[in-house]
Amino acid sequence: MLHAVARGDEDALARLYDRYRIILFSLLVRILKSREEAEDVLQEVFLQIWKRAKDFDESRGKPFTWLVTLTRSRAIDRIRQLGARQRLAEASSLEMSEAVSDAVADTLHSEQREIVARALAALPEEQRRALNLAYFDGLTQSEIAEQLDTPLGTIKTRMRSGMIKLRELLGDQVNGLLGPLTN
Amino acid sequence: MVHEDYKELLPARALSALAAEDSRALDAHLDGCAECRAALVEWEETAGFLALGAETFEPSPVLRESILKNIGGVRVDNKAKPAELIAPAADSKVLPFERPRRSDSSWGRIAAIAAAIALVALLASVIALWQQNRRSQSQLAQISTQIESANIQLARQREALTLLTSPGARMASLSGTKVAPTAQAMLAYDKKGHAMLMAKGLPAVPEGMAYQLWFIKDGKKMPGRVFIPDSAGNGILEDEIPDVAREAAVFAITLEPQSGVQVPTGSIYLVSAT
Repeated sequence: MLHAVARGDEDALARLYDRYRIILFSLLVRILKSREEAEDVLQEVFLQIWKRAKDFDESRGKPFTWLVTLTRSRAIDRIRQLGARQRLAEASSLEMSEAVSDAVADTLHSEQREIVARALAALPEEQRRALNLAYFDGLTQSEIAEQLDTPLGTIKTRMRSGMIKLRELLGDQVNGLLGPLTN
Repeated sequence: MVHEDYKELLPARALSALAAEDSRALDAHLDGCAECRAALVEWEETAGFLALGAETFEPSPVLRESILKNIGGVRVDNKAKPAELIAPAADSKVLPFERPRRSDSSWGRIAAIAAAIALVALLASVIALWQQNRRSQSQLAQISTQIESANIQLARQREALTLLTSPGARMASLSGTKVAPTAQAMLAYDKKGHAMLMAKGLPAVPEGMAYQLWFIKDGKKMPGRVFIPDSAGNGILEDEIPDVAREAAVFAITLEPQSGVQVPTGSIYLVSAT
């Protein structure tokens, strides 16, 4: 689908949007904690996909990874622009605000979400927290150590162990995950 | 840093969580290390799945139209409709490629049968190769798991070393009781109460059971975490010692249900000196 987008196929971009809008928008809402900001950045993301799809290189990752990496990167950039990084990080443990409380079921990827949710639930709390603070709040290991008042070495170990365990837990099912997400 | 050090940075790099200095050093290493580049692709894939852990939200319907309208005015490099890439233009001098006509002769039927046999043979070869590839991948995955496990052990030992060399670090030695006479353990902890237990010589635990750490102060038994030793009887556990148990406490290990208990119920396997 990305190759078709790279050739300038607008229908392919529309299909790409229909398939990934919930995954990418949910990621943006989680990072930015605001529907308005998330919609704004989602527009930027798809404009960038439209202009840059030709840069996608299959040897350097799968389409799903490319899309979420691009989206997350844009969102983290937006947080930094807003200068509210610390505030958002502190808010990460709080419930979502009413402004974004209209969660929906992503029927297209519900099975994949369940697999990932089970894997995350199997991680020790401190490892899951370290991964979430890095991935969704864009914090570095040093910033996480400072925020949790925990030695940097401990955070590095938690993060590495968490990623290793996550990969192990997803390992057997990863092909099933990748198929529907990368067509 | 050497190659193995850089490899350890890759998971954090996939999360964009490295400090700028480490990130720059890793960039320089990645330029010349294909193994690390390939490993990073896999770690980025794992990190990408975290996106599926976010609660799901639907963007407003007007956003789709807005995006499609906006891209209408943006030119894409190499822009060409898919059909244009394969269909010649109206004034093209390229002649269309005609399909060969079918012959209905018996030679044709024989050729078709031969082609079918060749196809079946080819399919059988492909399946055999595919199965061989699956076996190789499985072996590779096993080796990879063993390496990862060794890396975790190494990281924990480094962590223990860091803990032991930190200011105010303390250490308690635990000896095996009569139910585990060859078991030994060492509990290292810092002034904040961050503790690491390293045990060896422990008997294998029955199904559904695990060893649990206890902090005992003035007769009060405070529960710690549970752990299951590996097949060699070695176990490592990270825990936080309660404030009241950081001074002159006794540490013990009992056998308990895997979910852990609030009051010890099983035999004591390891205990520190009072």
